[in-house]
Amino acid sequence: MIKTVAKPAEKKVTGCGECRSTCQSACKTSCTVGNQSCERITREQKIEKK
Amino acid sequence: MIHTFRYHEKFYVYDTGSGSLHECDEKTARHLAGEPVPMTDEELAEIADLKAAGLLGAPETEARPIKSGEVKALCLHVCHDCNLRCKYCFADEGAYHAAREMMPLSVAKAAVDFLLRESGNRKALEMDFFGGEPLMNFGVLKETVLYAKEEGKKRGKKFLFTTTTNGLLLDGEKADFLNEEMENVVLSLDGRPEVHDAVRKTVSGKGSFDAVIGKIKKFVQIRGDKHYYVRGTFTAKNLDFSKDVLFLADEGFDSLSVEPVVTGIDDLAIKEEHLPRIEGEYERLCDEYLKREAEGRGFNFFHFNVDLEGGPCLQKRVSACGAGNEYFSVLPNGDLYPCHQFAGETEWRMGSVSEGLTRPDLRKKFATSCLFTRKKCGDCFAKFICSGGCSANNYHYCGDVDEPYPITCAMMKKRIECAMHILAERKSREN
Repeated sequence: MIKTVAKPAEKKVTGCGECRSTCQSACKTSCTVGNQSCERITREQKIEKK
Repeated sequence: MIHTFRYHEKFYVYDTGSGSLHECDEKTARHLAGEPVPMTDEELAEIADLKAAGLLGAPETEARPIKSGEVKALCLHVCHDCNLRCKYCFADEGAYHAAREMMPLSVAKAAVDFLLRESGNRKALEMDFFGGEPLMNFGVLKETVLYAKEEGKKRGKKFLFTTTTNGLLLDGEKADFLNEEMENVVLSLDGRPEVHDAVRKTVSGKGSFDAVIGKIKKFVQIRGDKHYYVRGTFTAKNLDFSKDVLFLADEGFDSLSVEPVVTGIDDLAIKEEHLPRIEGEYERLCDEYLKREAEGRGFNFFHFNVDLEGGPCLQKRVSACGAGNEYFSVLPNGDLYPCHQFAGETEWRMGSVSEGLTRPDLRKKFATSCLFTRKKCGDCFAKFICSGGCSANNYHYCGDVDEPYPITCAMMKKRIECAMHILAERKSREN
């Protein structure tokens, strides 16, 4: 048995650089890029919800 | 690359090429890990279907790091002094191995001008007020925020501000200002009173827990839904740090981050022999985290977040944190360093806010340093999530920004597996 838990959403934009600086988060010592969300996708989703 | 791992009775497969996470039975996990396990045609067909869909064994795409040349964030060391004397402080109790000093408003304004000038077409800029203890220079912090907002508005740019504070000076006026103006506030608190007091001492040598807890609680109360993190540090003295995280949650804080210490102090430093205990501790925390979430009293633990569905693009994932290229620290005298953890190490000085960036060689080094220059990361499943770790930690522990520190890596990998398990449990609860 094998079932998919999560897969990345298809991205329209890559490398736009709009994402926030990783170090401006909570840690300042052990940054994790992967727990950030894509700024552009998040913004687009907010607009869609509105 | 396929990474299989077990979390209690659950088995997972993470495919680095596609970024997909799958849950499977033990037999499938062992088969995918390369063990000679007899598989039925049906089981093999399931695997083949995922491979055909590009969700398993997908090739890893080589992406180039983002090199816009735009500066997007500054960390302003508005105060190289502190009203605490924390034993593990990487910043030399605020002084950064130099004179204790405050950033004058003229330097802070020049830093704002530098960021506006160097940020190209970027609209959203970030500015972090850091120290030492930034609230010891609150007047400059406040004036800088007002100046940045005004100047940003003229140029169609918006600043997102963050302050990191120990909370000792967080009175009504400061609390109201930070709450109003800061996009995020990071409040330092280590956990249980005895743990906090053992390392976070006042100048007179007394533990600081009682002096800060009420102020931090009050601030979080007025903060409402706005972003904040109560951020602690764990050391070799409290390897049972899950108790500190849960203590903080029980105190009513619902946005938490407790980080491993960065120090060379022998009795506080995290060592290889501590790793099994720390990994077990992350599991204990993860179990309780899920239990509380299911009971409707969950909280957010920074490192248990992993966004596999809407996370950053591949370019961001290989670009690492951006220190020394799109992110810089500004010292009280205006000197620029790659980040706060390099501050004061003069070989890393990259210019100043008045003269600009004067070390194109160093900037190029940081701009090109990425996952693919961190050769040891090549066969690690976590590479597209951690991007090869913190450049400063790599340098300080291993002598090279591109040389990951194995102890940090081990902790990172465990946290990521916990985060993936949490993701799977949440999905299963939803269904």
